[in-house]
Amino acid sequence: MAQMEGRGLARDALRECEESYRMLLDGIQDHAIFMMDPVGRIVSWNAGAERIKGYRADEIIGRNFSCFFPPEDVGRGRPEEILRMTAASGRHEEQGMRVRKDGSRFLAGFTLMALRDQAGKLRGFFEFSHDLSASKESEAKYRGLLEAAPDAMVVVNQDGEIVLLNAQAERTFGYRRDELVGQQVRNIIPTGFAERLIADGTRTAAEALAQQIGTGIELSGRRKDGSEFPVEIMLSPLESPEGILVTAAIRDISVRKKAETLLLRTVAELKRSNEELAQFAYVASHDLQEPLRMVASYTQLLSNRYKGKLDSAADEFISFAVDGANRMHRSIQDLLAFSRVGTGGEDFGDISSEEALEQAIANLRGAIEESGALVTHDPLPTVLADGGQLVQLFQNLVGNAIKYRNPGVPQIHVSSAKDGGKNDEARWIFSVRDNGLGIEAKYFKKIFGMFQRLHKREEYAGTGIGLAICKKIVERHGGSISVESQLGQGSTFRFGVASSKGES
Amino acid sequence: MKTIGKEGMPLEVLLIEDNPGDVRLTRETLCSGKRSIHLHVATDGVEAMAFLRHEEAQVRAPRPDLILLDLNLPRMDGHEVLAEIKGDDSLKTIPTIILTTSDAQADIAKSYQLHANCYLTKPVQLDAFNCLVKSTSDFWLSTVTLPPPSQPR
Repeated sequence: MAQMEGRGLARDALRECEESYRMLLDGIQDHAIFMMDPVGRIVSWNAGAERIKGYRADEIIGRNFSCFFPPEDVGRGRPEEILRMTAASGRHEEQGMRVRKDGSRFLAGFTLMALRDQAGKLRGFFEFSHDLSASKESEAKYRGLLEAAPDAMVVVNQDGEIVLLNAQAERTFGYRRDELVGQQVRNIIPTGFAERLIADGTRTAAEALAQQIGTGIELSGRRKDGSEFPVEIMLSPLESPEGILVTAAIRDISVRKKAETLLLRTVAELKRSNEELAQFAYVASHDLQEPLRMVASYTQLLSNRYKGKLDSAADEFISFAVDGANRMHRSIQDLLAFSRVGTGGEDFGDISSEEALEQAIANLRGAIEESGALVTHDPLPTVLADGGQLVQLFQNLVGNAIKYRNPGVPQIHVSSAKDGGKNDEARWIFSVRDNGLGIEAKYFKKIFGMFQRLHKREEYAGTGIGLAICKKIVERHGGSISVESQLGQGSTFRFGVASSKGES
Repeated sequence: MKTIGKEGMPLEVLLIEDNPGDVRLTRETLCSGKRSIHLHVATDGVEAMAFLRHEEAQVRAPRPDLILLDLNLPRMDGHEVLAEIKGDDSLKTIPTIILTTSDAQADIAKSYQLHANCYLTKPVQLDAFNCLVKSTSDFWLSTVTLPPPSQPR
């Protein structure tokens, strides 16, 4: 009796104990805990399981746990395989995609344990799992954020599997969400992405990722239909209980790429046509020399032999022809000189502008002596320039200052001033100031044009190419040239040249 | 055997030039001097080489004392002719003067690299041209002592 009573008490205690366990299990809301028989049929179900998987106990008990797996996993016998592995080792842990009652998928982390009786016979399994995107509230926020992003957003785990994506990603790649979740990111970014997430001998996964954070990576994306398109990817890490996930913002840059390509092609085209034009000017003016020489020589021969032997009209005609040929000759020479600025220049180097000016003054010695001009200068800097062209530039400007002089002693002064503080943008601004005729403001632009003249031919010789050459030289040096002047008050020409590399 | 440079003996000059206008101008100037000059004209490079090597119709061609060579020629251009002349042991001692419109640095450099004896740019002005041809012929045909017609190798 006492024994019976004792047994009853023990049974009561056991029942109480079982009851407490059940309450305990049901109290666990964020983990699915259930038991299965040896073939995977569900025999118990807690509230967490109902919440996570969506099945009520009465709906699921008796069914095989393979219904939690995506069809493709069921197809390859994954549920059975997991049971076999658990039975063999006693315990099995992994992460994987699971399917809720409503068909939606989620990433789950789960642990299975084999239950054996005292004789060691397999009695069933115990599964303990949770939704890895479990923090529903923050997940909802995160999803909201993803959906609001203008770019395709894909969250990838360290195995290279897609965990989450937004609607823009579906549109960009042409897949439905459930076709991508759980799949390798290689399916949509064939190369260059997954590799960046992988640890190797010299770095951990976190370090590998850290190297990529915040920089745009240009890769190729592949749509469901197999077509590829250029993408720019920005990566950012996302801490999660299962390790670092990577959020990738993927932007389709087809349009930008197309624009870039077009721009490059246009630049190349422009460069080519510019070179062609320069070449054309050179060849044309060069080839014009030959027939011109014939015209000039034979009209001169005519003039030498027959002047005064024909009538006066003939003499006049011949002299016009000779004059025309001579002028054409000068024009062609000037055109050649102009085109040589672009095609025949030397490489830039450190050049003493003072020496260049002195060379120019030496070249102008005849004109300087004849006019009595006084050419002075401040100490001048070393600049980054084509030496020959710098000489020509000074020579043209000083030569003009002498040529277009007022009565009296022409005074010409060359000075320089530093412009711009930043090292690689520092330039020297040169000024060539004279006390000559001066120029009206309305001609300030015109004088730098090709073959532009402000005076009659009888007044001043020349074709009007000098300042056009100056402008071209200065522009080749990345600068610009301008003039300040008042009629009768002299002129100041200013141009900028880059500082030499050695200076800062 | 004639003695080169002696007064009274005609000098043989080969002008390689395709422009008849230039040929005439050169002839006018060269032949207006006191020296007796036989001016031979080849109008392209192939013809010039045939003359120099006494080929075909040119078997009786004399060996020139001086060659005036234009660069821009049909068929075989001046640089090619120059290379042939200066690469040929029996011809390379003949003074060869480049007389051309080109003042391109590349043409000048290449000519001297191919051992041109000098390089002259034709001036546009008639007087300057006359002066150039005259001073050149004076120098090469009177002032300098030219090599003997054939040198032992």
